Amino acid sequence: MKIGIPKALLYYKYRIMWRSFLEDLNCEVVVSPNTNKAIMDTGENYSIDESCTSAKIFMGHVSWLIGKCDYILIPRIESYANGDTVCTKFYALYDICRSTFPEAKFICYNVDYAHHQTEWKAYKQLGEALGASVFHTRRAYLNAKNELTVYEKILQSNQDDLIHSDNLKVLIVSHPYNIYDEMLGTPIIRFLKDLNVDVFFADIPDSADMCAKSKHLSRSMYWHYNKEIVGSISHYESIIDGIIFLTTFPCGPDSLTVELLLRKIKGIPMTNLVVDSNTGEAGLHTRIESFIDIIAEKKKRGDEYVG
Amino acid sequence: MKAYLGVDIGSISTKGVVVDDKAQILAHEYLWTEGNPIHAVKRVIDALQKQIDGKDIQVKAVGTTGSARKLIGVVLGAQTVKNEITAHAIGTMSRVPDVRTIFEIGGQDSKIIILEDGIVTDYAMNTLCAAGTGSFLMSQAKRLGLAIEELGEMALKSQNPTRIAARCTVFAESDLVHKAQIGHKKEDIVAGICNAVVSNYLNNVGKGKRIAAPIVFQGGVSKNVGVVRAFEQVTGSDVYVDEFGHLMGALGVAVLAKQSGKEQNFDFNIQHVEFITKGTECKKCANNCEIIHVYRGEDVLDSWGNRCERGVSA
Repeated sequence: MKIGIPKALLYYKYRIMWRSFLEDLNCEVVVSPNTNKAIMDTGENYSIDESCTSAKIFMGHVSWLIGKCDYILIPRIESYANGDTVCTKFYALYDICRSTFPEAKFICYNVDYAHHQTEWKAYKQLGEALGASVFHTRRAYLNAKNELTVYEKILQSNQDDLIHSDNLKVLIVSHPYNIYDEMLGTPIIRFLKDLNVDVFFADIPDSADMCAKSKHLSRSMYWHYNKEIVGSISHYESIIDGIIFLTTFPCGPDSLTVELLLRKIKGIPMTNLVVDSNTGEAGLHTRIESFIDIIAEKKKRGDEYVG
Repeated sequence: MKAYLGVDIGSISTKGVVVDDKAQILAHEYLWTEGNPIHAVKRVIDALQKQIDGKDIQVKAVGTTGSARKLIGVVLGAQTVKNEITAHAIGTMSRVPDVRTIFEIGGQDSKIIILEDGIVTDYAMNTLCAAGTGSFLMSQAKRLGLAIEELGEMALKSQNPTRIAARCTVFAESDLVHKAQIGHKKEDIVAGICNAVVSNYLNNVGKGKRIAAPIVFQGGVSKNVGVVRAFEQVTGSDVYVDEFGHLMGALGVAVLAKQSGKEQNFDFNIQHVEFITKGTECKKCANNCEIIHVYRGEDVLDSWGNRCERGVSA
C-alpha cells in the first residue's frame, strides 16, 4: 500500500517516525516535493482566506499527492498533556482535507492526552487500519519512536557544536514547518548563512525540557508548539546575539506569542519577520541585513568593553 | 584630493553626494527616479561631475543604498552596497554625532531608527500600509485645494487643531470630509492632518520604542513645519531637521565606502556607457523564478533572482 505524506506542517516534526513506522508495516511512503510556487498557488486556491500561509501550503501538498498514492496520512492532534493544546488547525486538517478533496482517501490517527488518547493508542489504531497485528504495530511504533529520538539527539549535538564558534549567533524562533520550508524559511536561513551568521533553531533542543523552560517567559501559554519553541530562548539566552521571530501571516498563536515576547525579553536584540506568499525578497533582505548590522555592532562594542 | 561617492536610489527619488575624507559634502544632487533607476543615476553622476569639474577631486570609492542598491551597485562597480537603515544612521551621525532617534517619513514609507552610544540598537519600518506618509498628505492637500508646500505654514496658524481619526488613512479621509462639512476652519483641519500623521506614525512605526532626544527628522515630510511642530509637541523635545536631511542615505553610504578601505578610481564617463537589464523567467522548475540579467553592452555583468543553482545559466 502506498501512503502519501504532505511535506508541510507536522512532516518536519514526525517525518522520521512516520517513515519508519509505515515502512515497518510494509507500506510504501510517497512524500510530496519541496514547496514551490505551483504548490503554493494550488494551496491558496484550496484554502479559505483566513488560513495561515503554512496551512495553505499544506493544502497544496495534499493536492499534489492525490492520484500518486492510495491514502494520504493526516493526523488529528489536539493535546499533548492536560491543560495544553495546539492550534485548531491541527485538529481540523484531516476533516478539512476530506471535505475539500472528496475524491481522495485519507488515513488519520488521533492524539489527545487531555482525554487519555495517547500517542501509542493512536498508532495502535493506525496499525489496525493498515491491517497489522497489535504485536507488529507495537514493535514498529517503539522502533519508530526510538529512531526519531536518536535523530533528534544528533541534531541537538550538531547544534551544540556551534556554541563555541566566533561567528554571530542568531536564534530563529519559529515552527519547524516555517523554518525548513523551501519557500518560507530556507531563503532566509540561506541569506543569514551568506552573511556568516551561525543559525540556531528553536525547534531542535529537547521538547519536554523546552516546554518546562518556556515557563520562565510565560506561565500561562497553552499552545504546545509555541511552548516548545519559546523555551529555546531561555535555553540559549547566554550565547546568542539576537533573535529572529519568523511567523507566517496570519498565524493566531504566533501573533500573540511574539507580541508577548517582544515586551518581556530585555537585553537581546529581536526582530519579527512576517512572511506570506506575497513577501518580496528585497524588503526581507533589507530587514535582515540591518538587523545583522545592529547585532554585529553591539557585539563589537561588547568585545571592546571586555577586552 | 580624495573623495567618495554615495548614491541612494529610492523608488521615488535618487540622491547622490560626493564627500571628502571628513564627510563634508562637496557636491550633491537630488532628482526623481521616474521608474528608471539606471537613467536616474546617470543624470545624478552627470550633475555631480559638473559640480566638481575643474577642482582637484578624485573619487576613490563608491557606495550604493536604497531599493535599487544592488542593480546600481553593479552598474557603478560599487565597493559598498548597504541597506538604507544602516546608511541613514551612519549619514545622520556624521551630521549629529549624538543623535538618539531618527524619524523618517518619505513618500510611501516611514521608519524609525533608535541609536545608543553611536550604534543602531533598534529600528522599525512600516509594513503593510502607507497611512500617514507623504502620499497621504499629498492627496489631502489636493482635496482641500492646497499645494503640498502650503500645508506646513497653514498648520502653524491654527489655534485649535481639529481632531482627525488617525488609525487608518481611509477613515482619516472620511473624518476629514465630515469635519470640513460641519464647518471647521481650513487651517484647523490642516493642523489636524499634521497631528494625525504624527500620532499615526508614533502608534504604528514608533510603537513600543523608547524615543530619546536628540531627535532628527528626515524624509520629504520633514519639510512640512506643521508636522515638525506636532512632533515637538508630542515628544516634548526639539526635533532637528537638517537642510541635507534628504541626502543622509547617500552621505552614509559614501562614509561606509570610505571606511571599506577599498579604493579604485571612479570614472565619471560611466554615464555614457550603455547598461541594459533583461528579465527572464526560468523554466527549469515549478518555481518560475524571475531572473534579472544586467548587461554592459554585450557582456553580462551580473544576474540575480534565482532561488537555486539551476537558474544561474538560464
